[in-house]
Amino acid sequence: MFVKPISVNHVVTKITDYVGKKAALVSIAENTEIDIDKLIFELNASGIKFMGGIFPKVIHGQSISDTGIVVNTLVDVVIISHISQISKRKLVIPSIDFNENHQYSLITYVDGLTSNISSYLSELYEKYGMQTSYFGGGAGSLSLQQKPCVFTNDGIFQDSAVMCVIRMKMSIGVKHGWEKLKGPYIVTKAQSNTIQEINWKRPFEIYREAVESDSKKKFNDDNFFEIAKGYPFGIVRSGDEHVIRDPLTVNENGELVCVGQVEENTLVSIMKGNKDSLIISAEEAAIESMKKAINPKKAIIVDCISRILFLEEKFNLELDKITSVLRERSPNISISGALTLGEISSYGNGYLEFYNKTVVVGLFE
Amino acid sequence: MKIENHILDILQLYEYSMSIGKSLDYQQNCNDFLKLLLKRVNFNACWIIKKNDTSYIGQYSIPQGNTINTKINEEITNFSSGIGQCKLFQFNEVPKSLCPIKISEGYILIYSLYEEGFLFLYSKNHKFDHTLLPQLFPVIIKFSKVLKASRVFSDQQLLLDKLKESNEELNDYAHVVSHDLKSPIRNIETLISWIEEEFSGSINTHTSAYIRQIRQNITKMECLISSILTYSSIGSKEYQYQHIDLNYLLEDILEHNYIPDHFEVSFQKNLPTIMGDEFRLQQLFQNLINNAIRYNDKSKGLILIDYKELNEYHQFQIKDNGIGIAEDYHYKIFDTFQKLDNSIESSGVGLSIVKKIVNSYRGDAWLESELGVGTSFFFTLKKT
Repeated sequence: MFVKPISVNHVVTKITDYVGKKAALVSIAENTEIDIDKLIFELNASGIKFMGGIFPKVIHGQSISDTGIVVNTLVDVVIISHISQISKRKLVIPSIDFNENHQYSLITYVDGLTSNISSYLSELYEKYGMQTSYFGGGAGSLSLQQKPCVFTNDGIFQDSAVMCVIRMKMSIGVKHGWEKLKGPYIVTKAQSNTIQEINWKRPFEIYREAVESDSKKKFNDDNFFEIAKGYPFGIVRSGDEHVIRDPLTVNENGELVCVGQVEENTLVSIMKGNKDSLIISAEEAAIESMKKAINPKKAIIVDCISRILFLEEKFNLELDKITSVLRERSPNISISGALTLGEISSYGNGYLEFYNKTVVVGLFE
Repeated sequence: MKIENHILDILQLYEYSMSIGKSLDYQQNCNDFLKLLLKRVNFNACWIIKKNDTSYIGQYSIPQGNTINTKINEEITNFSSGIGQCKLFQFNEVPKSLCPIKISEGYILIYSLYEEGFLFLYSKNHKFDHTLLPQLFPVIIKFSKVLKASRVFSDQQLLLDKLKESNEELNDYAHVVSHDLKSPIRNIETLISWIEEEFSGSINTHTSAYIRQIRQNITKMECLISSILTYSSIGSKEYQYQHIDLNYLLEDILEHNYIPDHFEVSFQKNLPTIMGDEFRLQQLFQNLINNAIRYNDKSKGLILIDYKELNEYHQFQIKDNGIGIAEDYHYKIFDTFQKLDNSIESSGVGLSIVKKIVNSYRGDAWLESELGVGTSFFFTLKKT
């Protein structure tokens, strides 16, 4: 359900009517004019269980919007929890008694601008392993100013993650559409999200050489992101798709600051994409998820905000491709989601990853 | 294209190899390497089991699962001996009791970690590329060596911690015992005074002699307890290190301690300035000088303090013309409660204190002596 808020009470009434006695997954577009604290207070007063996040934009059907609220019903909720101080690495992940006769899905929204998100995901997998599927994304503002952006009945939080586990089958498709341009290189020095050396050299030197020669454009003081949005890094995986890391800025030392952790000695390639390859990959993600699903009723799409910055007006085609694949087989499927700062799932059903510039389609049934 | 793939494989091995041995902690080493492997090769789970006398015990597991504690029987022995260096199994070929998680499909790749047990790598869907087995092998060998080093280090650390703990307990014990003993001794002293007062008119010579003997024994006991206290406090407190001019220190000792008139104490005036704890150094010289005075039967007592600078040590000598020490005692004289006579003032702890202080400066103490001629005590203090 998509709500254009008139007032907090209006939103609360809409949510209450929509989810009834079930729980709500609430995704708010960052330019929505609403008092979040009051919304949390009123939802609590109405006895609704909920979790959610604030994202640059939300997806409803075939549209995207930077204002408005998307609400999904969470059926058979096992737990809703918030995990604080992600950057401090002292995480307390709640224990859950999984029943092996049921299938479970875990949805998590994490402050996309905090550090150590990979460690949080690692802890989740260590605790729950293959007993659940995983799906989620990075919340936060497109301004890249870190502020409280994930919430539950307990309040709204920064440097935190919120998660829920539901007793429901989920099928996932993950694709990005970026192809290797040059590499591999070794990240010989790194600190959290910053690549400090590639092949024992300043990373920007190597990056600039590869990107300028392919793009026929020159980097200057103001245009780093404008060019770099088409040339992300890809972390090399054995015989599988790269995990994409988005370079955001270059600092005064010629180091590259990315969205998401890059560890020392990681092998990376410089990737390249075109609008068509990205759109095709979105379609492939939808097909992949549909192949695994039996009777999907709800689709939640987590798509990276930087894909829209790259695809620009063609982003609608990406969304069209996804929705047409989903509706071709399930005409009544409800489609919603968010444009996020990083995406979360596993490739296949293995270890959890935090991606950039990637589209994840989750089908619930 | 093929060459490019080979280069990629080699670089991937470089990445795995570099993740090993960044820490001396067993758990951290497992986290660094195995989490990377899970991310890069898309394994679903991994775990390590290690053999003890009777069982295989789980050491590490991602994700967390049931604790493995499997008694070794014929089935387990046959299975483990069939692994060799590494082997790929279908899920149903591996005994369930060796898996911390429930597995109902897929493949398990098992590597021998030699003394450190076996590493299990599980994939739910993929049958592993056959080149992966030998490729990972040298990296796994490095991993097993690092695990062994981590275990040895942590065992050593555990031993040191236990040693420190028992030393602290011993020191605390000596303190408590000494303090507890002092209180009843003081009570005995008070009670004897009361007896003397109450029966002052009727105490005969015999009784008076007994009371005197009781008092002498009380004094001896107090001296012994004080010495134990002093001995146990060495090393248990933080030393206050500062530059100490030993010339001033010795002058101070000679000025403020009782030296009988018939003794002549001399020392060369070029003693060094060293880094040390003033109180402990004073105790060290004072105990040796007191010993030289106590065990001297000559009408003219002589004590000479000498110094020699060695490469890494300061060496000191306290020489006297006393009664001398029989060779049988040369070594055990530094043991606690070893003494040459039965005098009340001597506790038999003085030279143990000397030895303990010298040890705390990473030095040594020894003696040369001739009965009836005199003794030279030597000690060294390591230069800082």
